[in-house]
Amino acid sequence: MAAIRTFVKNCQIINRNCAVLSPLVQKHGMSQYPSYYIEPVHKKEMQEDLIKSGEIQKLAHLPTKAARNDQSSSFRQDDLVNLFINYVMRNGEKVLARGLVEKAFENIKRIQLEKYHKCDDEEKKAKIELAPRVIFHQAVENCKPILALTPIKRGGVRYQVPVPITPKRSQFLSMKWLIEAAKEKDATMRFHYQLALELIDAANNKGRVVKRKQDLHKQCEANRAYAHYRWS
Amino acid sequence: MIKSFASEYIFRRAYSVLQCTRFSTASQPITEPKLQSFRSEENDPLKHTLDHVGQFYRIPEEEKNIFLYGGLPKSFEIQAKTFNETCLMIRRPSVDVINCLKLIDYTKPTVRFVIFGKKGSGKSLCLAHILHYAHKARYLIVHVPWVGNWMRRCKEISSSETREGYIDLNIDAAAWLVHFKSQNEHLLNNPEFQISQDYVWSKRETTPKGSPLSELVDHGVNRLKYASECVVGLAEEIKHLSRSGHCKTLVAIDGFNAFFYPHTRVFKEKKEVVPPNKVTLTEAFLSLTKFDWNNAAIVTTVDEIAIAEQDHKSHLPRYLLRKEGFEHMDPFIPIFVDNYSPKEFTSCMDYYRERKWVRYYPQQNEELALLSVNNPYNLMHLCASL
Repeated sequence: MAAIRTFVKNCQIINRNCAVLSPLVQKHGMSQYPSYYIEPVHKKEMQEDLIKSGEIQKLAHLPTKAARNDQSSSFRQDDLVNLFINYVMRNGEKVLARGLVEKAFENIKRIQLEKYHKCDDEEKKAKIELAPRVIFHQAVENCKPILALTPIKRGGVRYQVPVPITPKRSQFLSMKWLIEAAKEKDATMRFHYQLALELIDAANNKGRVVKRKQDLHKQCEANRAYAHYRWS
Repeated sequence: MIKSFASEYIFRRAYSVLQCTRFSTASQPITEPKLQSFRSEENDPLKHTLDHVGQFYRIPEEEKNIFLYGGLPKSFEIQAKTFNETCLMIRRPSVDVINCLKLIDYTKPTVRFVIFGKKGSGKSLCLAHILHYAHKARYLIVHVPWVGNWMRRCKEISSSETREGYIDLNIDAAAWLVHFKSQNEHLLNNPEFQISQDYVWSKRETTPKGSPLSELVDHGVNRLKYASECVVGLAEEIKHLSRSGHCKTLVAIDGFNAFFYPHTRVFKEKKEVVPPNKVTLTEAFLSLTKFDWNNAAIVTTVDEIAIAEQDHKSHLPRYLLRKEGFEHMDPFIPIFVDNYSPKEFTSCMDYYRERKWVRYYPQQNEELALLSVNNPYNLMHLCASL
């Protein structure tokens, strides 16, 4: 298993460094499927949309990739949650990663329900969010940075220049920071519990991760004098 | 058609099969909480009948004290804390046992019940319901919350002084005496409960004949060295008291088959396995489950999880009790606890939604029924992350 992993890593390095390799290989790197295979559409509503708009005629005769183990047509499926589980995963231990994220959601529910039952004020009660997935989406949204700093070399000096980042990268950074913050914990604390606390804090726009994003934005603001180095 | 429709097709087929057996109300989208059809107004287990099956009843705060030192599974206690209330589902096996307890002729030898079922089907909670009934009906309760705690997770070992080759579990025995005392506080104050013989612990310590039963219990709690012997003595006294008509007893033991499983995790100094028949505590409870006394009832549970994982082969009583256990318990009334029926399942899902534990989405009930195989424990795990 470890040998396969190093082989795969070497292949990726080769791919990255060798511009000479054929464009077909570089186009879809590691994929076992030919490039004309399409992704499956799982959700019933999306399938119905395709039928309504007539897109289905184009896709009907194309071969489809097989559904992955973590994909289903159930209402419980959430692409963002699946992506998050993948980021939590280490050494291919998907079962462990999924278990941790599910326990984190359970912890979120318990913490929020405790607050809910303690609260006497009806208005405040209605504002407490009890669904873990809603909190998760809100947390990821609140932690997304808009700008990031990249090192650009001008005249022998490396400047930290604020640049805009793509939505995908922004979402990735948000989720990565949440996981890193959950890992910075006491040895006696469990990862899934710390993750739950981080998610709840981020959803309320407080906590470490939101601070990290705001610090980054402040740094970008401070360095805005170097912004023109992007095009220099 | 597109290959991705395969999963959709399987889902539709399963749904149409289920439609014949499901209640129609399960497939309607729920906009408001139902008018509490899953809750029963009857919180008194003395009055529970088969009409209440499938409904949840709430255990009042004062009566929760019987479970202070054990009796409810850990995961259930956590759930009760989160939901802010302790609600048990009224199920057919427990109502059957309660009806039997009401109708038994107590002048005849003790009747033994053995509750069995698959892992996670609700045996411990069934026993908890029966215990609540016994408490309300003023039985003297002899309750062992989980035998596995003694056989597989014992706190401390010591060699028995009075019995050759036997092992005492001091802390566990003393903890059990505290549990017994807290469950039967209102009955132990009764002056009629007196010991029938002298107990000589050492040259200077005796518990004389005629002293109250609570003194025997206190002695065991204070002097850990004699705790196990106290338990054995207490068992004999309880049998004596029941025979003479002073009190009605209910013996409730969860995980009874652990008393007959030879590969315990009780180790002597040189890592020798101690079989349960060499543990003093076993004697007490084996004598309590015999049929040589009357004015009592015995309700036990046999569970796979009370024994080692490698031997989780069958949930049936004959396999779990093994030859000695079966011969000891024979004849008994077997009570089978099954997975949820469709009505109980819907009731459970309604309860979770009402407690805001699970948020509704279309076809939730059908999907979870398929995934959990209607098993209560599996359902609890699946709903945890929803």
